[in-house]
Formats: sequence, structure tokens, C-alpha cells
Amino acid sequence: MNEEQIKSLLEDADRAAGPPQYGAVRARDIRLRLRRRRSIAIAAPAAAAAILLCGVALWNRRPHPQEPAAEPQERIASLEEQVRQLQSQTETTMRLVQEVLAKERQERRLAALQDELASIPDPAQELQRQADKTAFVLVYQADRMIRELNQTESAVETYEQVIRLFPQSRSADVARERLAQIRNQRFKKSPMEGESRCEPHKSPSSV
Amino acid sequence: MAKMIAEQALVERFRRGDDSAFDGIVQRHAADVAALANRLLGWPQDVDDVVQDVFLAAFTGLRKFRGDCGLRTWLFTITVNMCRRRQRRRGFRIRTMAIDEDCPDLCAEESAERAAMDNETFARIRRAVRALPPKYGEVVVLRYLQGLETSEMCELLGITVNAMQVRLTRAREQLRESLGELIEEKT
Repeated sequence: MNEEQIKSLLEDADRAAGPPQYGAVRARDIRLRLRRRRSIAIAAPAAAAAILLCGVALWNRRPHPQEPAAEPQERIASLEEQVRQLQSQTETTMRLVQEVLAKERQERRLAALQDELASIPDPAQELQRQADKTAFVLVYQADRMIRELNQTESAVETYEQVIRLFPQSRSADVARERLAQIRNQRFKKSPMEGESRCEPHKSPSSV
Repeated sequence: MAKMIAEQALVERFRRGDDSAFDGIVQRHAADVAALANRLLGWPQDVDDVVQDVFLAAFTGLRKFRGDCGLRTWLFTITVNMCRRRQRRRGFRIRTMAIDEDCPDLCAEESAERAAMDNETFARIRRAVRALPPKYGEVVVLRYLQGLETSEMCELLGITVNAMQVRLTRAREQLRESLGELIEEKT
């Protein structure tokens, strides 16, 4: 197996696996992530220090051997109080960390939604585009009616419809132009017809 | 050369605090970084986390970037290190999952028998690359799939040309062992 063969096989296999998927990376998001990391890096040691201090305080409050032993009930109550304090501090820290993480998730989601939103075209523009397209198709059909089927009346109706429904479109201008052309043709044609009516009818015998 | 100057200008702009310069760097290199991570991790497809981590590291380290090597080489070095770390952390899980995932996915997509056979062959090739020790897999991916030059690869991996050649030869031998029959079929 030579190098070229290996390369070609690997390239085929890689191509067959398809392209990788990854989200958008932006400097703004990275700055936010770094800020959050920093706040977590500060909060975690602070919480640990608080717990340590509580532990030291607890240790110092321990009765010394020469001191008379405190009442067991009082000691239990004091210990319970300290445990409660520790728990509340831990909970506060955990809440803080969870809030930061939730915020991070929300912001990533928000960024993804903003990206999606940016990719959606403006509805007004889209409507205008569709209207222009429809007008264009109608004019095209009317042109074909005249050119291929010789159905001038239907085409005139269609041109008028385009002018009525999409007066601001470019196709409406085209339709007006076409109508004017048709009217001109008719105008030119009708005097000719009049003349022909006035002309004496040529009978086949006179020929 | 013009490309390198443009990249250097982007780095300078970023150093002066222009975030849009970093966005420009990302735009230029994100696809390459994602492709490399995907290949180094054994084609898991979803490499969003690695790409995010690579550019996070680049963001924090770009101020110290001296420009001794190309920006792409520097980003590839970060990517290789990130992938190594990730493989060390949960190598076994990735490997087993990646092997399992190939067949159903590809077979479901292709209905024709020939296409299914091709897919199976490609999945086998990918498995063979995944089965290589990481240091051999890296040189194979960088040389044959990323198309890097020898000097760039050595710079990126921090090894000598000889060491790189040895790794490449051994990687080829191992691939030949696992895919030899396939080559016979092809020829």
C-alpha cells in the first residue's frame, strides 16, 4: 500500500463522514465566558475560606479540658447552629454558581436565537418579492396568450388585473406598456376596417 | 505572504482591543479547526465544545502570540493539545461510542447495496485510524487529511523530522495491517 493509496482511502472515508458541526464563536461571547469563569474562580475559594473559618471557629469553641464541661444540650444546640450556618453558606455559594451557569446557558441560547433571527428575511420584503414574482408570472402568461394562442382579450384582462392588483410593481409598468401597444394596434386597424367596409364589394364574377 | 501579513494585522488590531479582529480570525480558521478536531477525535461530528475551547484559549493567549509560526499552525497546536486532553480525560468512552455510532447511522442513510458497502468500508477505515495510538493518529491526520507540510507538522507537534518520519512509517504499517485485505480487494 503506497502513500497515495492511503491518502486517497483516508480522504474518501473522511468525506463520507460528513462535515463537523459547531456553533458560532464570537469575541463578545468569549469575553462573557471569561468573566464568568473569573467570578466562579473568585466565588469558589471565598466559599472554601468561609467554610474553613467556620471550621476553625467551631474548633476553637470546643471546650478545653481544664474548663468545666458545658451542658450537653447547649453544646448540641451550638453545634447545630454552626452546621446550619455552614449549610446556608454552602447553599448560597452553590446558588451563586448555579445562577452563573444558568445565565451562561441563557446567553448562549440568546445568541443562537439572535443568529436564527438574523437569518430570517424581512417579512415585508418577502411579501413584496412574492407580489413582484406573481405580477411577473401573470405578465409572462399574458404575453404567451398573445404570442402563441392569439387570445388578445384574455391577455388584456390579465394585463388589467396586474395593473389593478400590483400597481406599484415593475410588471405593472410592463402591462401598461403592452396595453398601450394593443390599443395602438387596434386604433390603426379600425380605420382600415372602415375603409374596407366602404369599398365596393368585389364579386367573384367581376374578377 | 499577503495572507500572513493580513493575519498579522488582525492580531495587531486584536492586541489594540478590537474584538472584531478576533471575529475575523475565527471566520478564517474556524472551519479548519473544526475539521481537525473532528478527525483527531475520531469523527464524532459534534465538535462545538472543542472549537469553543480552542478559541477561548486563543483569545486569552493571542496577546502573547509572537508570530514565530503561522497563526493557523498556532491554532492547530492548541487544537491538538485540546484533543489530547479530551482523549485522556474520557478516551475509552469516546472510542467505544464512536465505534458503535458508525454503522446504524450510515446504513440507515444509504439504501443501495453498493452505497452501504462503501459506507461500511469507509467506517472501517475510520475505525482503523481511531485504533492507532494518538501520536500516530495525529501524524496521519495532519499529513493525509489536513495536508500539512513536514516542517509545519514538526513545528506543530514539537518533534524532529526524523521522529515524524518514524511515526508516519509506523502508522502506515499499522494501517497496512488493518486495511491490507481492503487494498487487495481494491487492486
